[in-house]
Amino acid sequence: MSQTTPTSGRVRDGWGRIIAVVSVAGGLAPFPAHSRHLAGVLALALVFAVYAVAWNLLFGMSGQLLLCVGALAGVAAYGCAILADDRGWPLGLAVAVGIVAAAGAGAGLAWLAVVRRLGVLLVGVVTLVASLAFANVLLAARAHTGGETGRVVGTASATVLAHPVGAHLALTVVLAVALIVYRLVAISRLGTAARAVRDDPVAAALAGVDVVRTNVAVAALAAALIGLAGALHGLQEGFVSPGTFAFGHVDVRVLVIVMIGGLGTTLGPVVGAAAVTILDELLRPLGQLRLVVYGAVLLVAFLGVRDAVAVRIAAWTRSARRR
Amino acid sequence: MSVLVDGVVTGAQLAVLALGFTLMFGVAGIVHLAYGQLVVVAALVASLAAAWGAPMALAAAAGVAGAGALAWLLDVTVLPAVHRRDGEARVLLGLLVTLAVAFVIDGLVVWWRPYTVLSLPVGGSVDVAGVTVRTGSLAGAALALVALALVGVALRFTDTGRRLRAVGQDEVGARLVGVDPRASRHVAVVLGGLLAGVVAVTRGLATSVGAADGFELTVLALVVAVVGGLGSVGGALAAGLLLGLVHAAATQHLGAVYTTLAMLAIAVVAVVARRGGLMETEPR
Repeated sequence: MSQTTPTSGRVRDGWGRIIAVVSVAGGLAPFPAHSRHLAGVLALALVFAVYAVAWNLLFGMSGQLLLCVGALAGVAAYGCAILADDRGWPLGLAVAVGIVAAAGAGAGLAWLAVVRRLGVLLVGVVTLVASLAFANVLLAARAHTGGETGRVVGTASATVLAHPVGAHLALTVVLAVALIVYRLVAISRLGTAARAVRDDPVAAALAGVDVVRTNVAVAALAAALIGLAGALHGLQEGFVSPGTFAFGHVDVRVLVIVMIGGLGTTLGPVVGAAAVTILDELLRPLGQLRLVVYGAVLLVAFLGVRDAVAVRIAAWTRSARRR
Repeated sequence: MSVLVDGVVTGAQLAVLALGFTLMFGVAGIVHLAYGQLVVVAALVASLAAAWGAPMALAAAAGVAGAGALAWLLDVTVLPAVHRRDGEARVLLGLLVTLAVAFVIDGLVVWWRPYTVLSLPVGGSVDVAGVTVRTGSLAGAALALVALALVGVALRFTDTGRRLRAVGQDEVGARLVGVDPRASRHVAVVLGGLLAGVVAVTRGLATSVGAADGFELTVLALVVAVVGGLGSVGGALAAGLLLGLVHAAATQHLGAVYTTLAMLAIAVVAVVARRGGLMETEPR
């Protein structure tokens, strides 16, 4: 049945294209050395490409509308900063703990969603509320987080991340890891199970798929990738603040990137991240009107194009309704 | 006592905010993420009308009408594709399309009038049961209560209201007894827009509405509506009152950050614990 849906088991982008895209990203490495502005723009593009690949794993493949990418990244970044800077832990260990914390949070939310059978909409609502709660926790725990102004992350100054080219290459490696994880999941039993659960949880369960385990495993993997990118982003910037991980800044942008790039495709999120980065730079003079352009582009993506998001969503839920 | 009075004053406003949002979802199946932007547009229209020299009541009416008109305009231009689908597909597509619309409105409003806030000045204060309340807040709450009563009566006792409730409960069943679901969904969306306009006026009376408040207002509406059970009119009223009281109590004892945290926590607990009550109204 899922063979007929636009986002069926076909895995369109093979290893060759992944290597090509990562090579292009790595090939841009000399540029960050030239200007601080360019270094910042490229680093942000890479970080958001990783967020988008991971979120696409969550929503595109697994149908889990977790709207807390920024919060998960923030958990890892703040955790890493607090452990490494304030507690004096080794940096590697602090990053690892941050990633595990993000993965745990993602897995916990996914578990809650499946066990309480929340449905796509309520999952979105709960995770959106969780994102806003996280932002408020950051404000409340001022002693550790620096509150509204944020805090410095100093540890990275002794590592490769302190150099713009080194940071760019490190983030490129993370993007490569994210794409490899996505494709490995896509072609594995886990990917097949995730798509089956997305299309029809009841049918998947009847066919022997462990729904809880599938969704929790996908969410943990995606959240770990988000945490890794978030922690490195904090280290590379040398500074984290609530704004860095705000819902309006991260999650909305990730949604735009994935929807423009292509929901449920391997490389779409990377293309989307590049497109949004370039659009951002081109439209900078427009100021607030940038938002209008994004809104219009999204409307076209949602309503105008054949085989667009609307058709895909309809295809997913059509199979669910036939039961 | 002051918590009670403040709570009811805040709660009435939250209830109107949630009512418009929950009607759009319950009847039309649309999670209108541009709802807060409708409030902002209403505030903008009202403040422009006031700047043109319209008396306050007329400016407020213009704001309400403006929000209703915009909701209708959106419903006939970008939302038909959403109305054509049903079940979860409609909810998801509606969510995405209205988010894009929210971007467009936010961008235009903040670009055109970055600071314009609607503030309807009503001076002085009144004693209510020994508690001093600002006249503006009280007028806002009174207006909110009137709007709630009007919508409640209309839903219960008029034919249009009965049709709205029928479509909300069972679209297929409603069609079988001769109700046109499309027409009822249009009515619900426009009614939601008008209520967004009322929110702008009540907030303008109590505090103010800023050009960039759209997102915050949408989230607030979502939180209150979810606590009451998405799509449930009675739930929206109860949740508005409950959260108003929580808000008043927490503001007095905990401070702003913990107040927000408490309200968000209530929302999460409500969704996770009361899923059964919520799912009944969710289209499948």
